[in-house]
Amino acid sequence: MAYPFSDEHQLIRESARGWLNTWYNSAATLPKIHDGGLGVDLEAWVDFASGQGFAAVSISEAYGGAGLGQLGRAVIMEEIGYHLFASPFFSTCCLAADLIEAFADEATKAPELEAIAQGAQIIAFADGRSQPAGRIDGVLDAGVADKVLLALPEKDVIALYLLPANQFDISQNKTMDGLRNHCSITYDALNGTAFAQCAKADFDAVLRLAQAALVHESVGGAQHCLDITLDYTAQRVQFDRPIASFQAVKHRCADMYIALESARSAALNFAAAETHEVQEAALIARAWCHESFFKVASDAIQLHGGIGFTWDYPLHYFFKRARHNRALYGTPQQDYLQLAQYLTGAGSR
Amino acid sequence: MSLREEFRDWLTANLVGDFEQIRWRGSPGDEDGHAELRRQWEQKMGEAGWIGIGWPKEYGGRDCSLMDQVELNEEYAAHGGPGRAGHIGETLVAPTIFVYGSEDQKHKFLPGIRNGTTLWCQGYSEPNAGSDLSNVRTKARRDGDQWVIDGQKIWTSLAHESDWIFVLAREKEGSKGLDGLVFLLVPLDQDGIDIRPIRQMSGGKEFNEVFFDNVRTDADNIIGEVGDGWKVAMALLGFERGASTLGQQMQFRGELSEMIAMAEENGTFDDPSIRARLAKAHAGLQVMRMNALRMLRGTAGPEVMISKIFWASWHRDLGELAMDIMGDDGEILADGALSRLQKIFLFSRADTIYGGTNQIQRNIIAERALGMPKEPRGKA
Repeated sequence: MAYPFSDEHQLIRESARGWLNTWYNSAATLPKIHDGGLGVDLEAWVDFASGQGFAAVSISEAYGGAGLGQLGRAVIMEEIGYHLFASPFFSTCCLAADLIEAFADEATKAPELEAIAQGAQIIAFADGRSQPAGRIDGVLDAGVADKVLLALPEKDVIALYLLPANQFDISQNKTMDGLRNHCSITYDALNGTAFAQCAKADFDAVLRLAQAALVHESVGGAQHCLDITLDYTAQRVQFDRPIASFQAVKHRCADMYIALESARSAALNFAAAETHEVQEAALIARAWCHESFFKVASDAIQLHGGIGFTWDYPLHYFFKRARHNRALYGTPQQDYLQLAQYLTGAGSR
Repeated sequence: MSLREEFRDWLTANLVGDFEQIRWRGSPGDEDGHAELRRQWEQKMGEAGWIGIGWPKEYGGRDCSLMDQVELNEEYAAHGGPGRAGHIGETLVAPTIFVYGSEDQKHKFLPGIRNGTTLWCQGYSEPNAGSDLSNVRTKARRDGDQWVIDGQKIWTSLAHESDWIFVLAREKEGSKGLDGLVFLLVPLDQDGIDIRPIRQMSGGKEFNEVFFDNVRTDADNIIGEVGDGWKVAMALLGFERGASTLGQQMQFRGELSEMIAMAEENGTFDDPSIRARLAKAHAGLQVMRMNALRMLRGTAGPEVMISKIFWASWHRDLGELAMDIMGDDGEILADGALSRLQKIFLFSRADTIYGGTNQIQRNIIAERALGMPKEPRGKA
């Protein structure tokens, strides 16, 4: 068994991969999703989340989940990234689920998490901590959400609201990536009360770990880029030989593999981390994985030559996703500066 | 008391007195200092039964699991245990003899390694056989009940401190490449052996040229059969990965900690570019650790092949960062000699060359991990 996974994780991986290979063939599907404009493949999501039960993977067993934890989540996110499956798994099953699990009281928690586990609701997370009142940008999946989980700064604390999405004016942004439902939401007054108020530091800690689920998507995306590059360079013949036989190409592929496997280690180091080191591991994974994905996707385009630059070949979706993941929660450079605080004094081990 | 605790206590009690000077010393790049003390230390380790702990009990080992060995290596590194004079014998020669050696050979060679009394070096590279190791030309011929060896090896670490050398030599006249090779164990203390140190860019002399002129070894000092030389030589390299990996990482961690302390002291830690590079080095170490755990705890796949190029490149970058932290002070030889960090800067240029260059590592990854076409060979 591949450390640190269990047999159960391996089974989940095989079944998710099998499902995605049949249902979500990237060559045919990505342009369709892109041109559809919504940035989410809702029909596929319903089957994936509730039909196959993948929405439940990392929800606790107490709330109807499979209880497979961070490693289970890693498996699903990686497979999602491999196909760029346009799903609300990240927003709903990672961001919203973690915040609800950490901060809601039992009466709220049980029904909400159960509904997420069943694939019965989509929740978008709106981070209002550093945005002007009444408007929040960069809200993933708000355009398809049943509810919005809103975090607002109130005096010394963060107040969390869980409100029906129809309370907000939601406008979807046209994006470079084109495979995400990327929205801005506005509201006049909130019609409801906060379900929790939490200390800023506690909120930051939970959110950082939830956001770090994206590192696995980057690992999956990088794997895809390397795989199709190996296929392409093996069949593309120039100078009477496959270009894969040229050392300039081989060495670049080797470097892509080093970037991929080191990113996988960084991601697993996070997913398998003990509580006392998980915050630091999340930062490391974020910096390392998104940077690696971007490098591998860039190299993949270069090694495909002209074809890699075309719209009809799917590589550009991966390149754009790598760019977006790299920017979503801070650049690698910013992550490293944040990580530096663990090098000295109280943070160091 | 766990084995780890027992070892820790032993180190605390014994790595004292004269041995205090060799704490934290003797890693690659620093192997030529304090030879006599390190030889004595090796024997002390042997007397206490800390060498060959993974070996079967009948050969003086403790039958420890790989993870136990990993833990003891970590403990050793954390304690500043000196670079082991006997590491080639313990980590390369012994495993090879266990797999390919006869019962007689086990009884003849393992005790010296186990007791820390016999030191070994590696006779692989030659002037015309570096990355292309199969091009070795050193000759071995049978003369009665002995082998006679003529030729030259180069880059032989610690030959001048060693008692024995293992030699990859060409037995079959006119053979090329992987065929016709033998793997021989040869005593160094004899006429006909000429060891000439090579001074490195770091100033030290860890490497040597070793010349063989009518050098002799007993006929039964061959490992494997005649013609098996390549197979045995490659198997030996395979044993290099493993228990010592995490210990090496502890050494790296120590180096990085020293750099962080220095950056805080001289104020460069306030420079965001330095801070970010230190953080990235720290992240790289965590990646290395998980690489190692995937290798040691799981069923190792092709990803183990990234290990050498990853640590070597990381360590080279670390050396450059150390010098950027030191700035102009990095020019000064404070006690008239290179400091540990200055040595890392200079010696890490070798890390990406020895044990398979970064270029050869990329070929290996491309061909064996990714299934890309093999390099064409020239027609010499």
